[in-house]
Amino acid sequence: MSETIEEKIKGYRTAPFDARFPNTNQTRNCFQNYLDYHRCNKALSAKDQDVAPCDWYQRVYKSLCPMSWVAKWDDQMENGTFPGKI
Amino acid sequence: MIFRTAVEHAKRHPSLIPQFFFICLGMGGACLYLIRLAKGPHVVWNKTKNPEPWNQLDPTYQYKFVAITTDYKNLKKEGPEF
Repeated sequence: MSETIEEKIKGYRTAPFDARFPNTNQTRNCFQNYLDYHRCNKALSAKDQDVAPCDWYQRVYKSLCPMSWVAKWDDQMENGTFPGKI
Repeated sequence: MIFRTAVEHAKRHPSLIPQFFFICLGMGGACLYLIRLAKGPHVVWNKTKNPEPWNQLDPTYQYKFVAITTDYKNLKKEGPEF
């Protein structure tokens, strides 16, 4: 069953199991989804496509990450000092 | 050289054989587990060529030895491609 990404986002409950991060420590999962959200935005807007599918990654990192981390990274993105590779 | 002395000691005192066996078993097991950790997807060996090796896995990749509740065969990539 392959639902479209809009249906998946509408029926979103929580972050699904990610085989890349099977252990209790989900830090990397949180950071990877944050990076993927911004990379997706950058890639799709460079191709002039609708960035709505990238919201999946935003929902996932908002489920996983502590709010203080997200706030700190958002501030760093605004200042241009974000350490990750987007 | 060290194996020769070990074999000589073992011939004279055969009770040493279990000790050698368990030492080899323990050291070998530790080495093998270190290799498993080093080959794992969470380790970055080459920062320029492969900075995020966990993204190169397929969604059904199983790292743990025993999967009790997770149905690994039916997993698929969740997020959209970009």
